[in-house]
Amino acid sequence: MHKYLTKRALHSFLSLAGLLVLVFFLARLTGDPGNLYLPIDATLEARQEFTEKHGLNDPIYVQFGRYVVDLAHGDLGESIRKQRPAIDVVLEAIPVTLSLAAVAMIIALLSSIVIGSLAAYRPGGVFDRVASIASLAGASAPDFWVAISAILLFSVTLGWLPTSGMGGPLTWIMPIAILIIRPFGLLVQVVRGSMITVLSSAYVKTARAKGVRERAVIFIHALRNAMLPVITVAGDQAAGIANGAVIVETIFGWPGIGKLMIDSIIQRDFAVIQTSILVTAIVILSINIAVDIAYAILDPRIRHK
Amino acid sequence: MKYLASCLLGTALAISAITPAMAAGKTVTVVLSEEPDVIDPCEATRSNVGRIVKQNIVETLIEVDPKDGSIKPRLATAWKQTDKLTWQFTLREGVKFHDGSDFNAATAVIAINRNLNPTQDCEIRLKFFGNIKVSPKAIGDYTLEVKTDTTQPILPALMSVMVMSGPKMQPTKGSRQPVGTGPYEFVSWNPGQDVVLKRFDGYWGAKPEAEGARYIWRSESAVRAAMIKANEADIAPNIALQDATDKALDFSYFNSETSRLRIDMSQPPLDDIRVRKAMNYAIDLDALRGSIFSEGVMPMTQIVVPSINGHNPSLKPWPYDPAKARALLAEAKADGVKVDTEILMRGRLNMYPNATEAMEAMHAMLSDVGFNVKLKMVEVASWVESYTRPFAEDRGPVLQQGQHDNNSGDAVFSVYFKYACEGPQSTTCDKQVDDGIAAASAATGDERRKLWQEVMRRLHEDIVPDVQMFHMVGFSRINARLDFTPSISMNSELQIAQVKFK
Repeated sequence: MHKYLTKRALHSFLSLAGLLVLVFFLARLTGDPGNLYLPIDATLEARQEFTEKHGLNDPIYVQFGRYVVDLAHGDLGESIRKQRPAIDVVLEAIPVTLSLAAVAMIIALLSSIVIGSLAAYRPGGVFDRVASIASLAGASAPDFWVAISAILLFSVTLGWLPTSGMGGPLTWIMPIAILIIRPFGLLVQVVRGSMITVLSSAYVKTARAKGVRERAVIFIHALRNAMLPVITVAGDQAAGIANGAVIVETIFGWPGIGKLMIDSIIQRDFAVIQTSILVTAIVILSINIAVDIAYAILDPRIRHK
Repeated sequence: MKYLASCLLGTALAISAITPAMAAGKTVTVVLSEEPDVIDPCEATRSNVGRIVKQNIVETLIEVDPKDGSIKPRLATAWKQTDKLTWQFTLREGVKFHDGSDFNAATAVIAINRNLNPTQDCEIRLKFFGNIKVSPKAIGDYTLEVKTDTTQPILPALMSVMVMSGPKMQPTKGSRQPVGTGPYEFVSWNPGQDVVLKRFDGYWGAKPEAEGARYIWRSESAVRAAMIKANEADIAPNIALQDATDKALDFSYFNSETSRLRIDMSQPPLDDIRVRKAMNYAIDLDALRGSIFSEGVMPMTQIVVPSINGHNPSLKPWPYDPAKARALLAEAKADGVKVDTEILMRGRLNMYPNATEAMEAMHAMLSDVGFNVKLKMVEVASWVESYTRPFAEDRGPVLQQGQHDNNSGDAVFSVYFKYACEGPQSTTCDKQVDDGIAAASAATGDERRKLWQEVMRRLHEDIVPDVQMFHMVGFSRINARLDFTPSISMNSELQIAQVKFK
C-alpha cells in the first residue's frame, strides 16, 4: 500500500509539472493584460511602460525561466490587479470552496446512500419511483435557475433565509442545497443501481438464509461492496466542486476559488491563474489519492495487491 | 413518517425564528457588482473604487455639479489662472486628515505627486493626465500653485478627479488603508466580505446623517436587486434593465454613457459620406428604444450628454428613412463606390445589457437597406485591441460597437480621444475638427462652449464618423427607508453624506 501511494504521489507530481507548463503558455496566448487593465484612454507610451514593467516584453522562454526560478524559491508571483502576492489571494479563496465542497459532499453522500439503498430494496416500488424521479430531476436541473428562484422564494417572498453572503448557519442553507442537487441525484442513481446488483448476488442470499436481519444485510453486507462505484462517482463530483462551485460562488457571493479563477482568466492576471490552478490541482490530486485509499479500505483485493 | 414530518416542521419554525441580517440603523449598506481590487485613492476613477472612496474617504479640491456639469469648491475655496501655464488654488483652512495630519498646500503637493507618480499605474494619471506634465508647488500654507507644460484652461475641472490622500500613506499604489479628509474614515476591509467606513468626527463640513457605510458585492444583478427587496441592503448602484421591475424602488438616470458604432472612415467604402449617412438613416432608433434598450434612453447627436460643457443642443438626431438610405447607396454606387464590399460589425459581448441583441437588430436594419454586413461579437480583450491604436493595417471596413463615459464636466475628455487625427481611438481625420479641438481646448467660458459646439456640429453634419445610437440610462435600486436620488455621478462616486433617512 505504502509503495502504491508513493508511486501515485510521484505520478501526481509529474502531472502537476506538466499542467503548470501548459497553463503558463496557454495563459499567455490570451494576450497582453495591459489592454484590459489600463484605461482605454491610456497613451501608447503608458501601455508600453506597463508591458515593460511587468516583464511582458521579454521572450516567452525568458518569462518561463523566470517563473521556474521564482517557483523554486517559493515565489508564485504578484497579482497585477490586486497588487498582492498571488498565493495570499488564492489561500483566502480556497478554504471557502473546500468548506462548501466538504459539507455538500458529506450531506449528498450520506443522504444518497440511505435513499438509494432503500430504493434498491424494492425496485419498482413507490419509494423507488419517487426517489428516481426526484433524483433525475435534481441531476438535470439548471442550478443557476434553481438558485435565483430559491432566492426569490425563500428570501424575498418568505423572508426565511438571507439572499446571499457568507456568515452564520442560515447563509449556508441555500448554497449547500444548490450544490447538493446534482451530486445527490447522480449518487442516488449509482447507489440504487449498484445495490440492486449486489442484493441479487449469492453472498447476500446466503446471509439472508443464515437469518441475518434485513437492515444488517442491506447496510452492512451489501452496502460495502456496492460502495466501490459510488466512491468513484463521489470522488469525481467532489473534484468538480473543489474545482470551483462557480455558479454558487457567483450568485451567493461566496469568494471561492472558482470565481477567482474565472475572474483572473478574464482579466489576464497570470500569476493568479497559475497559482489558483496549481493549488486546485493539488486539491484534486489529493482527492484522487483519498479515493484510492477508500478503495483499499473497502476492497481487500486492492489492499493486498 | 410522523418523525419526518415533525423534523421538517421543526426546521421550518427554527428558520423562521431567526431572521437574516437586515439593513437597519443609520449605517448605509451598498451592494456593488464586484469587489474592488485595491482601495487606493489614486484609483478613485474606477467605478467600484470611486463609489467607496471618492468624496467619502478622500475629497477633491474641486467638485463637478452633476446637474449641469459646473464646478464648485470642495477642498479649494477659490482658484485663478495666473499665467497661461499656471493656476493658483486657495485651500480650505482647518481641515484635518483622518490620521490627525493637517491638510495644507504641502500635503496637497504630496497627494498630487502620489496620484501622478510615473512609476505607478494609477488610473487618475493614465486616464486624465497621460499627456500633461503637472508640477505642483506650495507657495504659502494654504496656497497651491500648479504649473502644466501645456495650456490647461480646464485645470480646475481636471482637479475634480485629483483626490487628496493623507501624506503618511505609502507612496506606492496598492494601499489597503486609504486615509483622507472626507466625512467618512476607513475602518476595515475583509477580503471577499465587506468594506466598512464610519463617520469621521473631525470632519470640516456639516455632520452627515448616516453613521457609517458597509460595502458588499454580488456579481448577479438579480441578487443585488433581491437584496434591496429583502431589506438586506440600501443601495444597489447598477442593476440590469430586466431586474428594474419595481417602480417604487428603481430609479433610472442618465449614466453619462453614450453608445455608438464607430465608423472606420479610413477604409473604403466607409470613406464616402453618403455611405455613412445611409447607415444613420437605416437605423430605426424608435424600434430599439423600449425593446432592446430601456424606454428612458435618448437618441444621441454627439458624443457627450446634455449636462457636459460643449454639448450642442441645436443638433437633431438622424431620422429613420430607409428609402433615403437606399437612394444614397445607389447614388454612391453609380459614382463607382464599392458599396457591396463586406463590412464587419465588431461588437463586444456584455458591453451593456442586450449588447448582442442590439448589434443583431442593427445588422438586420443595415442589411435591409442593402449593406453587406457581417456581425462578429468578441470578448473585451480582443475588442480593446481593435478599438485603440495602433490599428491593424489590413483591418478592412469596420463598424465597431463603442460606449463612452464622460461625467467630468467638459467635452475635452471625449472629443480629442474619439475624433482628433491623432486621437487614440479615432478612425477619422479632419483638419477643421483638429483646429476646432485645439481652439476649444485653449479657450475658457462662453467662447469655449461655443467652440466645442461648432466642433460637435461639424462632426454631426459634415463628417458623420458614427452610426449614432443613444445616451444611455442606468438603473439603481434604493431601499424605501432612504431619501436619496441617484445622479449621473453615480458611475464614479456615491456620496454617503448625501443619503438621508425617511
